[in-house]
Amino acid sequence: MASLFPIFLVLAITLGLMSASFLFVRKGPNQAVIRTSLMLTFAVCYLTWMVTYLAQLHPLMVPTFSAPPAHTA
Amino acid sequence: MSDEYPSLLRSERMSLVQLFVPTEVAHDTVHELGELGDVQFKDLNPSVNPFQRSFVGEIRRIDDMARRTRFFDAQIEKEKDVVPVRPLYECAPLLTVGPRSAQTVDELDTTLSQYESKLTTLNESYQTLSERTRELTEARHVLRETAVFFDKAHTQTSNIRSSFDDSATPLLTSHDDREGGYSAGSFDLEFVAGTIERSRVPTFERVLWRVLRGNLYMNHTDIAEPFIDPSTNAETRKNVFIIFAHGDVVLAKIRKVAESMGATIFPIDANADKRADALREVENRLEDLQTVLYNTGIGRRSELVKIGESLRVWQDVVKKEKLIYETLNLFNYDVRRKTLIAEAWVPTRDLTKIQLALRHATEESGTSVPPILHELQTSKTPPTFHRTNKFTEGFQAIMDSYGISAYQEINPGLFAITTFPFLFAVMFGDIGHGFIILIAAVYMILREKAMAKQDNGEIIGQFFYGRYIILMMGLFSIYTGFLYNDLFSKTLHLFHSGWTFPDNSTRGVYTGHTYPFGLDPAWHGATNALVFTNSYKMKMSIVLGVIHMTFALCLQVPNHFRFKRKSDIYTNFIPQMLFLQSIFGYLVLCILYKWSVDWTKSPVSPPSLLNMLITMFLEPGKVDPEKQLYPGQGFVQMVLLGIAGVCVPWLLISKPYLAWREMHKTTGAGYVTLGNGEETAIARHSTDETLEGEEEGNGRAIAEGDEEHEGHDFGDVVIHQIIHTIEFCLGCISHTASYLRLWALSLAHAQLSEVLWSMTLDGRTDPKSIGGWIGLGIMGFMWLNLTIGILCLMEGLSAFLHALRLHWVEGNSKHFEGGGYPFAPLSFAGEGKEA
Repeated sequence: MASLFPIFLVLAITLGLMSASFLFVRKGPNQAVIRTSLMLTFAVCYLTWMVTYLAQLHPLMVPTFSAPPAHTA
Repeated sequence: MSDEYPSLLRSERMSLVQLFVPTEVAHDTVHELGELGDVQFKDLNPSVNPFQRSFVGEIRRIDDMARRTRFFDAQIEKEKDVVPVRPLYECAPLLTVGPRSAQTVDELDTTLSQYESKLTTLNESYQTLSERTRELTEARHVLRETAVFFDKAHTQTSNIRSSFDDSATPLLTSHDDREGGYSAGSFDLEFVAGTIERSRVPTFERVLWRVLRGNLYMNHTDIAEPFIDPSTNAETRKNVFIIFAHGDVVLAKIRKVAESMGATIFPIDANADKRADALREVENRLEDLQTVLYNTGIGRRSELVKIGESLRVWQDVVKKEKLIYETLNLFNYDVRRKTLIAEAWVPTRDLTKIQLALRHATEESGTSVPPILHELQTSKTPPTFHRTNKFTEGFQAIMDSYGISAYQEINPGLFAITTFPFLFAVMFGDIGHGFIILIAAVYMILREKAMAKQDNGEIIGQFFYGRYIILMMGLFSIYTGFLYNDLFSKTLHLFHSGWTFPDNSTRGVYTGHTYPFGLDPAWHGATNALVFTNSYKMKMSIVLGVIHMTFALCLQVPNHFRFKRKSDIYTNFIPQMLFLQSIFGYLVLCILYKWSVDWTKSPVSPPSLLNMLITMFLEPGKVDPEKQLYPGQGFVQMVLLGIAGVCVPWLLISKPYLAWREMHKTTGAGYVTLGNGEETAIARHSTDETLEGEEEGNGRAIAEGDEEHEGHDFGDVVIHQIIHTIEFCLGCISHTASYLRLWALSLAHAQLSEVLWSMTLDGRTDPKSIGGWIGLGIMGFMWLNLTIGILCLMEGLSAFLHALRLHWVEGNSKHFEGGGYPFAPLSFAGEGKEA
């Protein structure tokens, strides 16, 4: 059943991954770059997935075809 | 603060250092620091004419040597057969530091001038010999052709005689008369023979006819082979002419006319035997000349080959020496103590490395007096230095193109490493196309070392420089491709779709199960697919845009802390954030909320968000209950509007008010602001005593300073804040709309991809005949080329540009200050390329 639960679940996972990358990237000349890149990557990937999922949760229109489509569910 | 770990977040800490370099070790020190590439020297003699600087003589000598190497390069280029030039990394190195360095450079100078004189003499003699060859060839042609004329004239003597009766007598001498006519050879007419350019022949004939009133007989033939001028490689075609006439005056006139027309006259004997002798002599001389020419050519080539073996290392040495002496010219020369004083910017972290380099230089040069390094306190703004590696340098470069960050400002390049490929990918999302550019990037990365050495040309060179950017762009594009469910305009059915079509209907029925990752494949091919995806992509663009702008706005805060202007957080940051969020943050929340509501179960039909936003401004507080998104909406919207309304005067007035209060405090206490002072020459001599025999790091001298302190005029603050307020408030609206390009480009990309498929491969993928297979082959080839050329390259460049614009304008305007100057250390590394 379509619900908002997956959104929060994946949000929690993303936040966990972001914290992990913040805490566990080892010190070195590239620490800031690796940390920033990883955290930002997780954040934006989550955002785009979340928006796509949310847009299809309670759709306001149905797909219509000119001829019955040969679809497998 | 000097023990904070440097990163790409902001510029590294830079120190101004003073170097005291004894003259003996000066050259080697600069050489060592140039190899290190970590020191940016300041010009301590800005008012001195370049021709009056201390090392002008050495630079002149090196310029001479550079000119000679350029001459060698040009000569090698001109050789028809390629002369092999040994590349730099295979040449034997020339040692230019150490006790014997001056000798090495002198020897190099002599070698270069010797080679130059040898080459010049060889070239000159080659030139002269070619000239001679040409003249002799012309003479040979003339001899041959005139032989033909004379022979012809013999056989025609009878004809001439018969047609001219008595009046023919003046043309012929008494010889023929005596012999009764048709005798061979003794054709005692005087004549002039020579060569002339083919284009001039008709003019020549006409002029002669007019001048001599027809009293001449002229014959001419083409010379088949053209003459090639060795210096200009131009071809000229010439003709041989022979003019028969009688009388000295007439002949003199002919000669004058011929010379004025640029003809060359050759002395030809009337006697056939003598002509044969002359021909033989000419042939012999020609053969000799050819041999000499050939040998000269061989000699020249062997010289060039010898030069080619060491040319690159000579050019390298000359370039380095020139840089070293130019740098030494920037130093201050203290004549009394025979030391040179230099000021330079170095990254604070590298101070130890530089001191080691200085010590190394002293050891190399064999002296025992080391240069001394001192750190200085200064209020001047240091250069901005972001230490990048091969991965980050591309991203830093594209953000630096907008403007160099101010010293110690938050560097937008760090975040661009992720946000730039991401915004690109939102506009480019296609698994197949992303994969293609990913492969291109991986190929360039795997062949990094080889490609870096060769000259790739401007265009490929640019792509190569950004190979890591392209790599990230490819990876993100594959991800967004999965989200848009687009693989070369086809969809993937990775999971169960959320729509079914019971009983073969044309309208889908929602199963209640949302497609878990990306766009549902049921939309592919639907007649209203675009309506749905447009709505989805437009809203996503707004959501991503507002979040990007909020993020960029928050980057202001570390800058306010670092530059010790905490009040700016309250006067600038908070009103800006509140303004942005109360209007556009609210819009984003409404978008997300509207999506999360099941409108089939709601008594209200789903309201249009655009109308909602417009009525929020036009009719504040009034919300039609039939069109409300949530209960209490009217009150909430009025509050938000009020907050936004308050923020504008807050942003406009608070900072000028604080500045005004500050100004009153200082003038009230009786202080008067100083004008910008002139440059005071701080006596460096006063620091000499403290430096004698001292170790590094002890004495701290105050550097002389130009007054960099801007007069913080109250008027300036007011004007600046007015501009800032207007820019920000209007910018909020226009920039939010600007993010809709994310939707526009991804729509264009998807449509192009679909059209390409339908026009080429659609319907041909199942060939039923040979013709079908051929069609598939041709169309497939066309599809592949257009995919790479239009969809990957053209669309890729377009999306690159738009993503960059979003970073530069929408992103940077929220926090970027700029105005820094880049750290440009003395470095020999980048110099090896040009001649």
